[in-house]
Amino acid sequence: TSNKTRYLSHSSLFLDRKEWADLEPVPQDDGPNPVVKIAYSEKFTDVFDMFRALLQNDEKSERAFALTTEAIDLNAANYTVWHYRRVLLQALDKDLREEMKYITAIIEDQPKNYQVWHHRRMVVEWLNDPSEELQFVAEILSQDAKNYHAWQHRQWVMQEYKLWDGELEYVEELLEEDVRNNSAWNQRHFVINHTSGYSDSSILDREVQYTLKQIKKAPHNESAWNYLNGILQDGGLSSFPGLLEQVTELQDTCSSPYLTAFLVDLYEDALETNSSSYDQQEMFNKALELCKFLAEEKDTIRREYWNYVSRSLQNTYGSGDPVSASSDPPPPPSSSQLPDMEPSDP
Amino acid sequence: MLTIVFFALSGLDVLDALDVVDKPGLIEWIYSLQVLPTDDKSNLSRCGFRGSSHIGVPYSSSKGPGAPHTYDSGHVAMTYTGLACLVILGDDLSRVDKEACLAGLRALQLEDGSFYAVPEGSENDMRFVYCAACICFMLDDWSGMDCQRAIDYIRRSSSYDSGIGQGAGLESHGGSTFCAVASLCMMGKLQEVFSERELKRIRRWCMFRQQNGFHGRPNKPVDTCYSFWVGATLQLLDVFQYTNFEKNRNYILSTQDRLVGGFAKWPDSHPDPLHTYFGICGLSLIGEAELRKVHPALNISMRAFESLRQLQGAWRQKST
Repeated sequence: TSNKTRYLSHSSLFLDRKEWADLEPVPQDDGPNPVVKIAYSEKFTDVFDMFRALLQNDEKSERAFALTTEAIDLNAANYTVWHYRRVLLQALDKDLREEMKYITAIIEDQPKNYQVWHHRRMVVEWLNDPSEELQFVAEILSQDAKNYHAWQHRQWVMQEYKLWDGELEYVEELLEEDVRNNSAWNQRHFVINHTSGYSDSSILDREVQYTLKQIKKAPHNESAWNYLNGILQDGGLSSFPGLLEQVTELQDTCSSPYLTAFLVDLYEDALETNSSSYDQQEMFNKALELCKFLAEEKDTIRREYWNYVSRSLQNTYGSGDPVSASSDPPPPPSSSQLPDMEPSDP
Repeated sequence: MLTIVFFALSGLDVLDALDVVDKPGLIEWIYSLQVLPTDDKSNLSRCGFRGSSHIGVPYSSSKGPGAPHTYDSGHVAMTYTGLACLVILGDDLSRVDKEACLAGLRALQLEDGSFYAVPEGSENDMRFVYCAACICFMLDDWSGMDCQRAIDYIRRSSSYDSGIGQGAGLESHGGSTFCAVASLCMMGKLQEVFSERELKRIRRWCMFRQQNGFHGRPNKPVDTCYSFWVGATLQLLDVFQYTNFEKNRNYILSTQDRLVGGFAKWPDSHPDPLHTYFGICGLSLIGEAELRKVHPALNISMRAFESLRQLQGAWRQKST
């Protein structure tokens, strides 16, 4: 350290500050043969040497709290620093409203960090005040509408504090902005599942019609098709009145691999339930025909998969001899791909 | 830091290039990260492995009891990668306090079946369920977790679209789907937990993640690491052979950095250890020449897995 800084109470380094003179910095100790040699800056080493010293003494003081702010600024992913900061927040009875402002700023800056969201959750719990949360998360989502941490926090708040009002409207706003936002579709399911549920046929009808409408707007949208498929699983795709007709109608204008795959699933459901509303042979033939169509034209990247689906259908519902891939030997009953999980005999 | 060492070591292993590494030196360093029981064993619920020496505990290579420190605890991902690195390096785990690791692990499981990363508390999700399963699988001891609760957590994390999210209600995701399926496979319970119909739908969800490379969620951009997360899941579900190897390979290779090497999530982006490792593993799954095969659930080379099996066989013999 230079002569200039030695007598100042504010040095750039904690090491030189007189208010910290009583604390012996603790270096990181990786032994005689350090493996991972990170080239820490002088500032980083200074802050974390002091942090280690505080930790060792389990010091509960304002200066310790201030140090955690510095440490977080250097590495917001250090979970030990965050834990220690929380210990101090409680021990020093710090203003949690101020802490909310602080964590808000940190998350804005680093919205994909796990520790910052966890910290916010802890502060919200301590305050027992979710009143800012939905707006805050909406602000983060306005910058990245698919941020998984943000959605996770949002779902936690909603469930913990029963804040369901207005969420379906919020989801619809997001879907207006981007009908392909899979997180928004997931949230739609989350909200309805936890409020009205899908058992009411008027709700289910509403959702089916809403989804088909979105599909017409943007046909090549896996999220919408997954939602449609998902909400109809319980009842069975082939049991929903008029669905086959409605989807078949879309084939010309709203063609996509998802539409065709949906029809395969619908036909398979008719076969599985042995539905008397459909001609079983026709369902079987159409399913195979569409698998071939997908393999050869609509979804060629998954050609081998659609051939496999076709073979499976033939083996399950066909009347002929079992089918296998021309290149493969007949598979054994259990998987031959899977490594044997059991320990070997010595 | 231990997770980064894992990516490097396991990556070198898959590349069959471990001889560039100072194995004994690394083994010593990894053992120095073990959080051992103190003399009075009051910290059993905090045992496992640390990620680094960052909190300043004095160096000790697991040859005596642990030094007490209020803030010293293991981290589930570090215990998992620590054990995996030792196995990869050919260590016999004789300096691992297995009972302490398992006690530390039990302390991390929540009522809903998921796990914290650290006993002080943290977020909880499918990633740590996977880490826990790997630990039990490697130590050949499932007393480290309540499997039924973990299974319940996994089932509750299934989405309406048949993919699996990080937790109940959350969006299905390639990473969490891998964590769930791989955990069930290691438990030997995949077919018990999911019906054939459900497995078919999980296969379908995963197959649709391929765009050229793979993405982690519908309508998201592809990313090299999902070639492993989703690829390995498809392998565990016996349908990886039906993916398009050429497009997958071309994508992964397009994310290679021609100057410094390694792989990034996207082309013309900065490479990092994680994407490099999973890029290599993604290529290994498609049978890329000169790459070792990877155990799709445990995420170590088959060579390392074989030596683990030998080790476990010897343990079982000793205990009978």
